Amino acid sequence: MKKVVISVLGHDRPGIVAAVSQTLLENRCNIEDVSQTILQTEFAGIFIAGTDENCQLEDLRIRLAAKLNPMGLSVLMKEVEEGKPAISGSAEPFVITTLGPDRLGLVAGITEVLLRFGVNITNLKAVFRGGEDPRRNVMIYEVDVPSETNHQDLREALQGRAQELSLDISVQHRDIFEAIHRI
Amino acid sequence: MLTDREVLATFEMLKNEHLDVRTVTLGISLLDCVSDDLERFKGNIQNKIQRLARDLVAACDEVGARFGIPVVNKRVAVSPIAVAGCCFKASQMVEVARTLDHAAREIGIDFIGGFTALVEKGFTEGDRALIDAIPESLATTERVCASVNVASTHAGINMDAVSLMGLTMKQAAGLSSNADGIACAKLCVFANIPQDIPFMAGAYLGVGEPDAVINVGVSGPGVVKKAIDRARAVNARMDLGQLSEVIKHTAFKVTRVGELIGRQVAQNLAVPFGVVDVSLAPTPNVGDSVGEIFQSLGLKSIGVPGSTAVLALINDAVKKGGAFASSYVGGLSGAFIPVSEDLNIAEAARGGILTLAKLEALTSVCSVGLDMVALPGDVSADTLAAIIADEMAIGVINKKTTATRLIPVPGKKAGERAFFGGLLGEATIMPVPNDDASGEFISLGGRIPAPIQSLIN
Repeated sequence: MKKVVISVLGHDRPGIVAAVSQTLLENRCNIEDVSQTILQTEFAGIFIAGTDENCQLEDLRIRLAAKLNPMGLSVLMKEVEEGKPAISGSAEPFVITTLGPDRLGLVAGITEVLLRFGVNITNLKAVFRGGEDPRRNVMIYEVDVPSETNHQDLREALQGRAQELSLDISVQHRDIFEAIHRI
Repeated sequence: MLTDREVLATFEMLKNEHLDVRTVTLGISLLDCVSDDLERFKGNIQNKIQRLARDLVAACDEVGARFGIPVVNKRVAVSPIAVAGCCFKASQMVEVARTLDHAAREIGIDFIGGFTALVEKGFTEGDRALIDAIPESLATTERVCASVNVASTHAGINMDAVSLMGLTMKQAAGLSSNADGIACAKLCVFANIPQDIPFMAGAYLGVGEPDAVINVGVSGPGVVKKAIDRARAVNARMDLGQLSEVIKHTAFKVTRVGELIGRQVAQNLAVPFGVVDVSLAPTPNVGDSVGEIFQSLGLKSIGVPGSTAVLALINDAVKKGGAFASSYVGGLSGAFIPVSEDLNIAEAARGGILTLAKLEALTSVCSVGLDMVALPGDVSADTLAAIIADEMAIGVINKKTTATRLIPVPGKKAGERAFFGGLLGEATIMPVPNDDASGEFISLGGRIPAPIQSLIN
């Protein structure tokens, strides 16, 4: 069985997920994972679905486009590659949080350091509303850090970069959040 | 997935509220080091501490860096030396203290506890030798902490020991007169001493404890104060019941962090995890003060009327939160009010708002006692003993731990300042009214009997 990944992007409105899932159902595709989010007024969704063995991927792509393009949505579909995970070997989950005034290059600045250490971002939420209130300008990265990483070096590199960008930063093991907030 | 609220709340605790792990203390039994040959005993101690604790600092730093929560202090607590070295004379006990000091320096820790005697019911030869050795041991070592348990709810108060401790303190202060009597800052006299305290100067490893064990002291009072301030800023009409709930929640969080870190260190060192001590331990830094919590709860200062009620509320809420967070809570577990180690409390003492009498009243509801209290250098040994006796009585009758860490500062008078440096801080010397009025009582000696356990009013 082949798996496909479908991403849908466009101005948010009721019925987007209904349209995608209806098309997949008509083509006997079984949805395995869905994640959707709305940033300001824009919808983005990503679906992974298993396909029927008779399914022609090109036909599916055409049907999805036919259904979604008239709704003002762009759609991209590709086959899922069975391959190696993002990080080979073991990794530990961390949460990196920054607070500070908005300016150009904050995400690029932090992620450049993460890339240098081979850290993979598993979830990212960033909000920049401008102004001086730090709580209105927040980045929360959930990341996987390869086990062999020197944490002191990573921490220092991130702190140095945060200072250049006038950000307050904290790097925390995810277990801390679990321990503090969950019973 | 974590919620933004969870992430940002934790961010605040770390950035602005001094969330850390205050101490990770490795308990090491020295009972298998016993020998009647002093050199062999010292060698065994040196080897065992080196073997079990040489990676303690590195393990704490590694776990601290990995989890992003600093472990501020790393310490070692050993079996009571008066037990392990029972056959030695006082001069030999001093050598044992130096061995402990040397071992502590070698593994890079700031304090080692366990120069300890348990004499609530009477003395062994070893107990007497250890107590006789305390002044010179503490004056000539840097990192060794001593404690003597002179009372318990089950045994009563050994008044001969109380009297002896008054004299011992005077001698210890005299031998460290060039440093404002700092030797006494490393000496605690206890009633009902717990076997698993991770905090200095009272830490030792009880004889009922395993061969090695990790005990953890949680984060300080800054977190609690900020939580109260924040809650009151959001809702100005919050009452004391709601505020105690805020303290409870905060204590829960810091206890969970403490246990998480402690268990990791224990795992790294292949040593069992013991307890979390959920005490609020201040440091002489702004924003890390128990005294400031009194102000956050509406008092002008610690020491004014209402202080005992506030401390009772804080202490109880901290225990409730901590006990829910961890199944293994132990040690002292309550709020500390060490005068010199807490900027705000030191300030209240300087201004005369906090007196010795009020401090004693506070200790009836808090976890420790008269802690880091600087007294005039000419206070008599009998008066010191009588102050100790009063404090022991509070502990014995209330079935709780109490202690004294009193420093008669040589050559200085009430109102002058004493400087102890570092974590020990500095303090204004408190006046002791009615000095030389308790000598006859102290001279009676004997043991005050254990109290009745019913008819408890």
